[in-house]
Amino acid sequence: MSDEQDPKKKSSRYDPSRRKFLKGVGVAGAGAALADHFISPDKTVAASESVTTGEPIAGTVNIALDVNGAKRTVTVETRTTLLNALRNNLEPAVTGPKLVCDMGSCGACTVLMDGKNVYSCLVLAVDAVGKKLTTVEGFGSPEKMSAVQSAFVEHDGLMCGFCTPGFVTTISAYLKKNPNPSLDEVREACKGNFCRCGTYPRVFEAALAAAKAGVSV
Amino acid sequence: MPQQPQAQPSPTPPKKKKIRVPRVVNGVEQMVEIEVDDVAGPGWGPNDKHTLLNHRMTRVDGPLKVSGAAQYTYDIRLPNMLYGRVVRCPYAHAKIKRFDSSAALRMPGVKAIIQAPLEEFRFAGSPVAAVAATTPELAQDAARAIVVEYEKLPHAVTADAAIKPGAPRVLPTEGPGGEENLTQKGKNGELPKVEAAFATCDAIVEAEYRTPRLHHCCLETHGMVVDFSGGDSATIYATTQGTFTIPGDAARELGLPQTAVTATVQHMGGGFGSKFGIGIEGMMACRLSKETKSPVKLMLTRSDEFLMTGNRSASWTKFKAGVKKDGTFAAMQATQYRLGGVGQGSQAGQPYAVYKVGETYREVYALHTNEDSSVAMRAPGHPQASFAMESLLDELAYKIGMDPVEFRKKNMPDKTYHRQIDRAAREINWTRRNPTPGGGTGPLKRGMGCAAGTWGGGGNDQCKVDVTVGRDGSVVVAVGTQDLGTGTRTYTRAIVAEELGLQIKDVVEQIGNSKLGGANSSGGSTTAASLSPSVKDAAYKTRIAVAEKLSPLLGNAKPEEIIFADGNVSGGGKSITWKQACAALPPAGLTAHGVWRSDLQARGVHGVAFAEVEVDVETGKVRPIKLLQVQDGGLPLNRLTMESQINGGMIQALGMTLFETRVMDADLGIQLNPSFMDYKLPGSLEMPELVPLIDDEDKREVVIGIAEAAIIPAIGAIGNAVFNACGARIRDLPMTPDKILMALAKEGRSA
Repeated sequence: MSDEQDPKKKSSRYDPSRRKFLKGVGVAGAGAALADHFISPDKTVAASESVTTGEPIAGTVNIALDVNGAKRTVTVETRTTLLNALRNNLEPAVTGPKLVCDMGSCGACTVLMDGKNVYSCLVLAVDAVGKKLTTVEGFGSPEKMSAVQSAFVEHDGLMCGFCTPGFVTTISAYLKKNPNPSLDEVREACKGNFCRCGTYPRVFEAALAAAKAGVSV
Repeated sequence: MPQQPQAQPSPTPPKKKKIRVPRVVNGVEQMVEIEVDDVAGPGWGPNDKHTLLNHRMTRVDGPLKVSGAAQYTYDIRLPNMLYGRVVRCPYAHAKIKRFDSSAALRMPGVKAIIQAPLEEFRFAGSPVAAVAATTPELAQDAARAIVVEYEKLPHAVTADAAIKPGAPRVLPTEGPGGEENLTQKGKNGELPKVEAAFATCDAIVEAEYRTPRLHHCCLETHGMVVDFSGGDSATIYATTQGTFTIPGDAARELGLPQTAVTATVQHMGGGFGSKFGIGIEGMMACRLSKETKSPVKLMLTRSDEFLMTGNRSASWTKFKAGVKKDGTFAAMQATQYRLGGVGQGSQAGQPYAVYKVGETYREVYALHTNEDSSVAMRAPGHPQASFAMESLLDELAYKIGMDPVEFRKKNMPDKTYHRQIDRAAREINWTRRNPTPGGGTGPLKRGMGCAAGTWGGGGNDQCKVDVTVGRDGSVVVAVGTQDLGTGTRTYTRAIVAEELGLQIKDVVEQIGNSKLGGANSSGGSTTAASLSPSVKDAAYKTRIAVAEKLSPLLGNAKPEEIIFADGNVSGGGKSITWKQACAALPPAGLTAHGVWRSDLQARGVHGVAFAEVEVDVETGKVRPIKLLQVQDGGLPLNRLTMESQINGGMIQALGMTLFETRVMDADLGIQLNPSFMDYKLPGSLEMPELVPLIDDEDKREVVIGIAEAAIIPAIGAIGNAVFNACGARIRDLPMTPDKILMALAKEGRSA
């Protein structure tokens, strides 16, 4: 993953350490800290009372998520991660992003939030309200693959495939930023994604081939 | 008088032959003798004459996997499904004093809590209980709310602690599984002969090598989804290497007949030897499901995965070895300790199979520690043995001033390796290696090393395959075998398509389901050599059956002589399309059943790896520059995926040599790095240039598995390259900067 995700370099709203802290203190603390994010255009968020009283939010909230261009309403706990909301709470589920390390080290859960790649296991679902979310499913389908997806198949940039959605997402986002990368830049771009089967060299080849094809996403 | 059924004329029994084949038990290959029909049908034909096989075929499940559409066990979600969570013992050795789940049971959404059937826990991470709740978050809360009080008992979690006289006992004194911390497991050779041979040697090396406990790190953790709601049948979605290892065990836990339980695995996120049977997590998932009469999904957390699903056993090898000036490896004495935690561990016997040594003597011991049991991991026992042996060979070669390549050839009886090692040396340009280990100016030192490996990779007779052709020309091949991401689907389709003169897209497969034809577990690299002969047999029988139907339309051509190629069927001077041909089939189409044929597969592969690295002698950091492996495997079913698998082996070897290790706290008895933050996997920044080379000089027209072979030789090659670069020998993996700096200091080579 690119530098935006380096926990040492940034302290934004999506700072991993912040979410970890919230997970640690549990529902009550998280609710209070997050109340200001519960504003949603279609008013599906049911936290307005807490916002005014400052009372902690317990239990569940209804939120709307913009996933791959579709507005999806879903009930989550305030501590539910975006990854778990996609996989466990949305109906039907969005299971392209994978739960692997659950602590922001492996990149298998990578999604785009307003075009930036993030580890969705480090983002709370309630924090993703109002953001445009793109998962690997958003880039293409088996019948109509994106240039990056086709390049992964063509260059065999996958084996078991469990890390693949994360790599595809990371590289798709990176090629938008840098359409003509060098090999070293590609390596750098996916340093936040782990593969155990050993597909790295062919992931690099796929990324460079997709870039050469001139279509980034 | 009732009519008597007419006695069937008994067919002539087919001729039988006895052969030895590998069977996989818990991921470990065991050789057994079986009797098979002595039939030999048409072979694969010359390796360079295939239209699909031995070509570069993209994997047929690729589009599903790159778009997030492939459904893994972890992705299954069923109505009313509960989420399971495991509670683990935090101590290396403890007994339960009090277990109180009452508060947890009162929590919202909590449906059941069960205890593991154990009283005494012999490693930190041992599962104690499991909970089922309506969401994973609530299950986690409930797991935390379970109160367990333990009586802590003494432990030993390191080899050095466990081997000491008076060390705490790891295993029970008696009964099944009971034995001393240090237990002799084997003895080979005659020590006096070895000692006599040492006396004739020109150089002697004595050295100890260690490899640490390693983790499989399957990205998809262990676990399953049990689809059972109290009825008379169940479906198990399992992330498994053995579809057929699931139904029996699950049925027992659910109280159902085995035939009422279906196991299915469509895609799975890595196994590497660790996923056979339902495991204790599967057992608990079944029990939770049975108790709640609800589907249960129990996927382990990442820390569970590190702490309770097994690992590659550590090793400790003590060598004394002697050579003659001409490079003859004359004598070796080895003491091998297998460090399998509470399990037995594994280590291939020394001398490692590739090499011949004059006189040898070895003692093999299991040395137990309070750590979870080792399980099979890609080429069980070989990486450990190969690293030790290849390092030793290198030390001997340098000691007598002989080129390590020449020294190896001198002691490799199998000439296949000579061909491979010469090719690999040429490819990497071995002659430009550092002439003096540690030589050259500046802090960045480059070096090269090499090593060799071997594996079985033969198949057995467990795969049953059906090919069905519809009257519309559609073709389906049904196999029970699971596809671990090795390309099983792709070659299965390709074998059928090639036989019928079709394209890969014209065939679809059904796969990974215990209701389909029986299949072996994917362990010991036995899948390809077990499955592909059965697929070939089914495809061949399909071709002949279709040809028999078509013969009248094709000038009564002999079925064997009818040609299936390029989507056409030709004979008797006529040619029709495949679709036209199939229209002549009966309304139900046609199904042919394939069984395994031993003549289409074999055992025994050879591989040689060379490595080039750069060592920074100021920081101790190793930068891998290039890894190259020449690997044979009979007929390569798919060159693209075979190369990927060789790459994968080299990369895992890189992890083992430079980065990966379980770190234990000897006092606390716990693992300090059970996460991807702290267990260092090879990543994109550490990737060298990787060159997988298929050895096409291997003209054997048989299928042999190479998955495990792929991981073995690069470990020794990288280690030897580090020595060639910096002049310091690291005998304890992984070769982290601290060890390299210490070794350089010892050698007086500090920057």
